[in-house]
Amino acid sequence: MRAASAPRINSMALLILPSTLLFALFFFLPIGLMAVMSALTGNPVVMPNVAITAKHYARMGHDGYYLEVIWTTIRIGLWTTLASLLVGYPLAHWMARIRSRTGHALLLMAVLAPMLTGIVVRTFAWMTLLSDKGVINQILISLGLITTPLQLMYNETGIIIGLVHIYVPFMVLTLTGVIGRIDERLEQAAENLGASPWRAFIEVTLPLSLPGILAGSLLVFALAISAYVTPILLGGFQIMTLPILIYQQISANFNVGFAAALGMVLLVISLSLVIAYNHVLGLVSGQRELQ
Amino acid sequence: MTSLAPGSQRPLAAPTDRTNAPALRSRTLPLRWGRKLYLAANIAILVFLLTPIAIVIVFALNPTPFIQFPPVGASLRWFEKFFASRDFMHALLFSLEVAAMTTVASTVLGASAALAIARGNLPGSRLIVATMLSPLMLPAILTGLALFQSYVLLDVGRPLWGLVAGHTLVTIPYVVRTTLAVLHNFDVRLEEAAQNLGASPTRTFFEVTLPLVKPGVLAGAIFAFIVSFDQFPVSLFLVAPGSETLPVALFNYLKFDLDGTIGAASVVSILLAFTVVLALDRTVGLRSYVKL
Repeated sequence: MRAASAPRINSMALLILPSTLLFALFFFLPIGLMAVMSALTGNPVVMPNVAITAKHYARMGHDGYYLEVIWTTIRIGLWTTLASLLVGYPLAHWMARIRSRTGHALLLMAVLAPMLTGIVVRTFAWMTLLSDKGVINQILISLGLITTPLQLMYNETGIIIGLVHIYVPFMVLTLTGVIGRIDERLEQAAENLGASPWRAFIEVTLPLSLPGILAGSLLVFALAISAYVTPILLGGFQIMTLPILIYQQISANFNVGFAAALGMVLLVISLSLVIAYNHVLGLVSGQRELQ
Repeated sequence: MTSLAPGSQRPLAAPTDRTNAPALRSRTLPLRWGRKLYLAANIAILVFLLTPIAIVIVFALNPTPFIQFPPVGASLRWFEKFFASRDFMHALLFSLEVAAMTTVASTVLGASAALAIARGNLPGSRLIVATMLSPLMLPAILTGLALFQSYVLLDVGRPLWGLVAGHTLVTIPYVVRTTLAVLHNFDVRLEEAAQNLGASPTRTFFEVTLPLVKPGVLAGAIFAFIVSFDQFPVSLFLVAPGSETLPVALFNYLKFDLDGTIGAASVVSILLAFTVVLALDRTVGLRSYVKL
């Protein structure tokens, strides 16, 4: 479509230059440096005789501990994604189908309100809810349902609950867009032909919303595996994930090269997820989605 | 003609017929139950989403120094402690300062980039947009790590401009997206009409284009402010010890204490974000800017 008209570049195009400079200097150059650092024996600025090495990557492969950390990160990401999908789908469906404008605005506010509350604040909120002497345990004990507090945080369950709360809005907003584009009359047609509403949903709406499910899941997974605050606070410094390990290598071990190598692993995983996400959304709605 | 129109609507108005059909009546019961289940599930989800925010407010007002539920009263002592704390006040002001600088930088850069993408006829504009939005989807902790390593390598320390540059990177996608959204819904003929009536391209830009994209730019600026104010992973790597942003200061406090001061600080930042968003909704409307 664009090739047919192919208009000339004009002077407005020059306005791209300042942000290009920002991205070149503060995004691509640093990430490039990180890639270089991950394959060097030391800091080339202060050490005269640095050599190229694969030792940082080899360390990850040989030591079972690091593979375990990567697997924990991925496992937490997968559970978070699945839970976000189960929690997000009904709400997204409601938001896409609700008729009243006020209702839609209120639902949107409810979804956006957590997004507008910082991650540190929300993690604090979950700590007050989930800790041994937290709200949930106090209520359950005063109701006589339990005698000893349930272990709700300082484990992976706590981390997953906190992460789902933080990332479910992304799932809802992605799904709402896709469900909203499904023609409601298709469901009505199925029901008029004798399908129950449940069957109409399973056989019509659900398959048509699969691209949204895939896109939302990729997005939530990418966000969940790169979370730092929630895993460290709700995991009580006991559970090690990739971002926690990266920061520890910088702040406690001063091992910049190994941190860079771990960063590259996270980068490769996230980059593939982002490309897949854009591809999936591109399939749903052509070129418009990126804008 | 007139008799055709309502006739063609009839298949869609079937629900009224359906309740009268005896063969189908058995299905109305599970339908009603299904509907109830659907609403109950959604209300449970809303409770899940909103309870943590409500709980923060409860703890900010609860006078006991530990978590107690139900609350025993209401006091402002945690707010007093928060506003009397030099560390927190320093962090709050520093966060506002960083957010203000970030907002200016990312609004100017992001809005110009969006104009260039929409009006400059650049080749590969789809790739440019994807690049401009990429900091939003790549882990911010990597942006922080990569910048930190570069600053160490270049031996520049942890300067304020370095922090603002990091924040600008993670906020620029919001400005690009909201501005592009406006530019795409915008009738190019308005610009053409101005030029046909004799306005120079410069005058057209300042008198037609700029006023029309203002809502998108403003929305992006407000998002940039909030995102920068709440930003954590980039700041974690780039703040200098002794001059932390509010989220980093709260995080450091949370590692050792779990009292109402955090609640009070949280309420202050929530109120700030909500004021900003309400202002946004009043001025430009929210709905069209939150599509993912």
